[in-house]
Formats: sequence, C-alpha cells, structure tokens
Amino acid sequence: MAARIWILAVVVAVFLSLSAFSSAQDLQIVNAERRIDLSSQIVKAFLTLKVENIGKDPVAEMLLAFPPTQIKHLAMVQALAITGKKKKKTYLPLDVKPSEQPDAPNDAGFFIVSFATPLGPGETVKLEVLYILTHSLEPFPVEITQSESQLVYYHDSAVILSPYHIKQQTTFFKTPSTRVESFTSIEPANRAGKEIKYGPYEDRTPYSYTPVIVHFENNSPFAVVEELVREIEISHWGSLQITENYRLTHGGARHKGVFSRVDYQSRRSISGASSFNALLAVLPPRVNSVYYRDDIGNISTSHLRTGFRKSELEFEPRYPLFGGWKATFIIGYRVPLEDYLFEAPDDRRYLNFTFGCPLVETIVNKLTVKVVLPEGSKDPSAVLPFTVNQDLQVKYSYLDIVGRTVVVLQKDNVVPTHNVPFQVYYTFKPIYMLAEPFMLVSAFFFVFVASLAYVHIDLNIAKK
Amino acid sequence: MAAKPIASPIPVAMYPTLSVFTLAIGLVITAFFFIYEATSSRKNRSLVKELVTAAVASVFLGFGSLFLLLASGVYV
Repeated sequence: MAARIWILAVVVAVFLSLSAFSSAQDLQIVNAERRIDLSSQIVKAFLTLKVENIGKDPVAEMLLAFPPTQIKHLAMVQALAITGKKKKKTYLPLDVKPSEQPDAPNDAGFFIVSFATPLGPGETVKLEVLYILTHSLEPFPVEITQSESQLVYYHDSAVILSPYHIKQQTTFFKTPSTRVESFTSIEPANRAGKEIKYGPYEDRTPYSYTPVIVHFENNSPFAVVEELVREIEISHWGSLQITENYRLTHGGARHKGVFSRVDYQSRRSISGASSFNALLAVLPPRVNSVYYRDDIGNISTSHLRTGFRKSELEFEPRYPLFGGWKATFIIGYRVPLEDYLFEAPDDRRYLNFTFGCPLVETIVNKLTVKVVLPEGSKDPSAVLPFTVNQDLQVKYSYLDIVGRTVVVLQKDNVVPTHNVPFQVYYTFKPIYMLAEPFMLVSAFFFVFVASLAYVHIDLNIAKK
Repeated sequence: MAAKPIASPIPVAMYPTLSVFTLAIGLVITAFFFIYEATSSRKNRSLVKELVTAAVASVFLGFGSLFLLLASGVYV
C-alpha cells in the first residue's frame, strides 16, 4: 500500500514537470465530467466537457489526448456539440480525426475534434465525447475454476489526460455489481453501491495523469469473435445471400481444472458464473432461409423470431463457453434484393447494407466484409463513415465466365457501434443479365446439333 | 430523397410457375424434334425445319432450367 502511494507520487511529479512542455494553450476546460461504464467487456466512456476560449483568436479545433495503452484499444471516438438547455438540447455531430503531434509527452495519442463554427475569444462550448475501448478489462486472477466468479482489473487515470488546463473535473466508474475488491484511493474518492466517484479535482495542469486500478467482479459474457468473414453475394435475379464464418472465443479469465456437467446444471447460478451458452444475432427484417451450422453439420439449438423492424436469431453453440474455449460456426441467410439495392441519380447502382457483426455486445478482432458483385459489374467503389482497408478480388461462382468482382473491406477492433450502413457503388448494364440464360440455351442447342449430326452422318462404306 | 430500389425484372414469386410452363413447352418441342427425326426418311428430311425446332426447343429449355435453378434457391 505504501509502495503504491510512493509510485503514485513519483509519477505525479514526473507528469507535473512535463507540463512545462505544453505550448501556450488558447483553450481551457472549465468543467469536465467523465462517466465510464464498466458493465460489459466493452468499456464505454462518456465525457462532458465545457471548453472556453481564453485566447485572442478564434479556435477551430481542439485536441483529445489518450495514454498510449488506451490508443491501441480505442475502437471508436465520437463527439457531439450540445446547444440549448434542458428540454431543447440539440446534438450536432462533429468531425473527429486521429492526429500525430510531434511534441507529445510519453507517446500520448491524439484526436482532433473540429468545431462546427470556430470558437470566438471568450466563448464557451459544451461537448460530449464518447469513446469505446476494447480488451481493456484484464482478468485477475488469470485462471479461475468453474465455481469462481470472474474478477478484472481496469487501469485508467483519476484525472482526465488533456493538453489543456482543467479547472474542475469528476470521474465516475460504474461497475456491473456491488462486488469491488479494491480501487486506488486518490482523495477525494469514494464508492457508493455500483458507482465509484473520483473527484471533484480542481485546477489540474495539462497532461496530468494519476493512474488508478479498479479490481471488480464482471460476469458479463466476454464473447470475442477472433475472426469474422461476411460474404454478401448480390444476385440481380432477386436476392442477397449473406454467409458469415465465425471463430468465437471466450475472452475472459481462462478456465482451469475440470468441467463438471453435474455442477454446471444443478447449481447454474454459482457454477460457470462468467460462462455463456447463448448468443443473440440481430438480422434484417425480411430474412428467410436462415441456417446455422459448423464443420460437423447443422446445429439445431437456435430460435429465429422474425419481425417488422428486425429479426432475432438466438443460438447456442454445441457447448457452453468457458474462459479460453473456442467455437467455430457458420450462419447464413437470404434477404430480398429490393430492400438493399438502389439506383443512384448518376445511373450507377449501389448496395446499402449494414457493416459490422450482427452479434450483440461482441468484440470482433478482425472483420472482413466481402461484397460479391454480379458478373459484368464495372467500377466498384465503397463508401464508409470510417476507415477500412479496401481490396478487390475475383470469385468464380455459378454460370461464370470471367468471374465476379469482389470488394473486400477489412477492419480490426469492431464493436456494435460500427453497425452503420455503408454503400458499394458499381455500374451494370442490364443486358448482361442475359448472359446466364444464353449460356444454358447454347448448351441445350449444342446437344440438339450433336444429335442432328449423328442422324445425318452416313457411315456406310458400301454405296447404296 | 427516396432512392429507387432495384428489383428483379421478373417477379420472384413467379419463378416456380414460369419454370414449370417453359420446361413443359420446351420438352414438348423436343418431343416434336425427335419424332421428326425418327419418322422421316433420309430423302424427306428438311434441315431448316430441324434447326428451327432445335433452336426453339433449346431456348425454352434454357430459360426453363434457369427459372428452375432460381426457384430452387440457387440464385445464379
């Protein structure tokens, strides 16, 4: 305990001395409130900032800083500008871009938030920033038996890391249950039920950072899809066929010892508290021909509920998943074409579909979305609200001569907030649709011509 | 601005009916073709008649097999 306080003091001193690094700041944060939701494996942080311009010139953008350990696990950063009060609040989404700052202390990572209108001298603006971290809850103990509960560490700072001076700030951590083993105490810090409050802290210099560790119980399902390959095949004859290949693992504390099925079934609330056996996938509304299988064959433990706005597929792998266990399976379904394929004003066609993984509350480490365009499509291009790696491939399928163009979109660290629509544009002349029946017609005609030739050819040696 | 959805040129619900009818007609014309081959003698055969029958039969059979593939779920 004493050693921890000593390390803390040294770190604080180091960071305070580094504050001399920061250049003259035009902005200062008057009030900051940070709420970090630790209820599931995906850590969601909501930052409400009141930013004031204390310089003489209008400022068009501001920087958000993140420690180097968090930058690696950052899945998404969004910012909104709040105008109006109480009931008449309006939220305006702002542009957020990652940036490199050369004089950053200790390799901090930065994002630039561009204001809707440049902030004049003396003006204040209220911002709400949402950022999502994945793989930030570290299981400790690293291995647990079937009857133990899962405890995790969360490393963060009681003080918000920022390149600006923060006049007043408070941080709240929300845990999923009331069981908190320990949390670093940086006065004033107290805990009430499921909430730990750090603050209010006054007048913190830029780049101040006070590390804290919260050790708490989190039995929410740590469903991590290591790799997901989604193939969306467009057929102009009327349907969109989607095939998803999953490699699922349990990303929490590893399971050690034996698995007792008797204990698991008789004392379900105590046994395997952090394990999960059911998953929910949200599918499009008018879905049909849904199948769920793996290498062995069809898996029958699933329930499909179709609806008007969405369909839900509740499915169970062949066995419950404990820490470190894996399951591989394929889910496929078909949706009508007219729901997703549209004509653009410039005569191009485009597919409007949802990016991301249909499973709820799941992290995908590596997501590949392949859009297979029909034969004869030209000039493919994809439009997405965030950055992905794009590539082109060729796939040979039914009745193909030259092959179908495949637009491959690849993204790492995908969370459910990435389930937004994206578009793939291409040009297609409708006459090319006749290539497929023409191939079949010519095949049948060849058979007839062969029989004609057989009948007409005279193989007699002797003259009649 | 509402985007214009693109659908199949032929209503999807009609695929099974269309496939049955086009295949039936195609098979009938195929029957005509082979009956003509079997009953006519070498002198009376007309190549034009044979080729025309073969062409019409293959068109119907080709489209019929396409609709059959689509109706059974293989969206080519």
